[in-house]
Amino acid sequence: MSAWVSVAGAGVIWLALLGPVIALATNLSGSAIASSLTAPGALDPLVTSLESGLVTLAVLFVVCTPLAWMLARRKLPFPRVWETGVLCSLLLPPLVIGLLLVFLVGPYTPIGRAIGWLHQSATNTFLALVIAEVYESAPYYVLGAQSAFASVEPRLEQQAGLLGDRPRRVFRRVTLPLAAPGLAMALSIAWARAMGAFGAVIIIAYHPAGIPLQIYTTLQETGLASALPYALVLLVVALPLPLAAYIWSARAGRRRRG
Amino acid sequence: MIPLFARERAPLVALLAIACAALAAGCSSSTSSSASSGSTPSSPASASASSSALPTGTVNVAYASSLQFLNEKVVSPAFTAANGYTFSGRGASSGDLEADIASGEITPNVFESVDGDNITPLEPKFTNWYIQYAGTSMVVAYNPKSKYASKFKAIADGSMPLSSLFTLLQTPGLKLGRTDPNTDPQGRDFIEMLELAQTYYHLPSDTVAKILGTPDFGSASSSEIYAESALDSTLESGQLDAASAFVTQAIELHLAYIPLPTAINLGSAADAAQYKKAKVTIKGGVTKSGSPQVIDITIIGTPTPAAIAFVKYTLSAAGLAQYKAGGFTLPTPTIVGSASSVPTEISSELGG
Repeated sequence: MSAWVSVAGAGVIWLALLGPVIALATNLSGSAIASSLTAPGALDPLVTSLESGLVTLAVLFVVCTPLAWMLARRKLPFPRVWETGVLCSLLLPPLVIGLLLVFLVGPYTPIGRAIGWLHQSATNTFLALVIAEVYESAPYYVLGAQSAFASVEPRLEQQAGLLGDRPRRVFRRVTLPLAAPGLAMALSIAWARAMGAFGAVIIIAYHPAGIPLQIYTTLQETGLASALPYALVLLVVALPLPLAAYIWSARAGRRRRG
Repeated sequence: MIPLFARERAPLVALLAIACAALAAGCSSSTSSSASSGSTPSSPASASASSSALPTGTVNVAYASSLQFLNEKVVSPAFTAANGYTFSGRGASSGDLEADIASGEITPNVFESVDGDNITPLEPKFTNWYIQYAGTSMVVAYNPKSKYASKFKAIADGSMPLSSLFTLLQTPGLKLGRTDPNTDPQGRDFIEMLELAQTYYHLPSDTVAKILGTPDFGSASSSEIYAESALDSTLESGQLDAASAFVTQAIELHLAYIPLPTAINLGSAADAAQYKKAKVTIKGGVTKSGSPQVIDITIIGTPTPAAIAFVKYTLSAAGLAQYKAGGFTLPTPTIVGSASSVPTEISSELGG
């Protein structure tokens, strides 16, 4: 009996969390989907979101993975200070991140000027979109990747070292494969954040529009019925990666236990 | 050990404690927010009136972003002190608010819009009248630390002719900011102002296209375009050289600005026919024409006592004085639409 009560309670919470998705499904009509998504250029924001999301993931993996590993292995002095820094960036509301990014990469800032020498701009460009998505998603990746590396038994790395492997080879042949499912989960969470990034994006990257901004502008221009199909597109496009990462992570966890 | 605090009961006790705290917070919240009826005033600022004389309740006002400072910092406390009702406001671009009201996303009692074009789409379902009562005008705000600041200042104080502003704005590398003409009236107003200036000052026919960076004036695909919430902050942070603004925004945010003549600034009802010649075609092939930037107010849905009180207060001498102090012009309040639908308390304020 108590097991059924637990399942029922979990079901209620699960349905509550899915409430917005259920509302989306029940408020969409086929005609609205067709008219919104078949207009010329309607799927350009999808392409923009996919491209910027993939670039963001690449940046996160290359730039943030070493930080996550060093945090996990306590390679940094005063580790709590470093972790607090990551938490600070996580706690800032995305809108505030955007407002502060203007001070960081605006055209008349030192970084902005340096970018300008390369004939690029970090305001209202694809680069700006990637920067905004990186800042909104990086803390989620760093914390998730840190957890993934921390789950790798250090003795295994030590034994590989004792058997003659250099640190880089140990990382490539032992650490990374064992941490891979967790890293995939962290990347998938970051992907979801990047795909849904809006607060920072609307401040420094109003153009080119990805799907979240397209939903916002479509809502203002033509109303809710036209904007909701884009929300469905976002869901359909963004969901597979986190789902695949979750399944892989769960299977890897079962293999490790089993 | 008291059995209630035995280890095995600790989770239950914790859960009960959390539930009690939540209940207490809920009760506290409901008593601190205004009740819909009752004779006890909800605001301590109404101490000047008898404690049993002022009504209670909340008026929910959706207002154009340019009214944010005025409504939140000036009108709201004064209105509550005078009437007892609590003010709850939401600022956004007039176009955004119109779309949100039409879709049911928001259900304000009162809607204050820049330009009646954002109220007429709500007729007749949500309202069938509005009152024009204040005006603003376009200016060009500039960054006083910009490398072009000396020229902007010279234009502002008349040392350089105003027509040279529109040549300056074409300078390669000058960072100009404006808002999306498809979603924000200010975005359209700025373009219409440029078109009027091109004609008024006999500038080359491609002046507007060069300033905007595109011949498609209604396009949102421009690095000049910022979300309304981002434009002022980006200018204030020094990352823009110039930006579009209403004069009231510039005054409230202490921005340096260049005033423009009434022939082009969309601020004079007398020049309405001239303004109408400026047009912007936005998405969906909709063409918008220039019009005087008048602030309009209406009640959405069934008028509540709090909504009537707020509109009446806004149109009173005290309310209009606050707008004047904020840099708004004050034309004679005019009802547009069905005058018979205007609550009598409000039309009496207009002398009707």
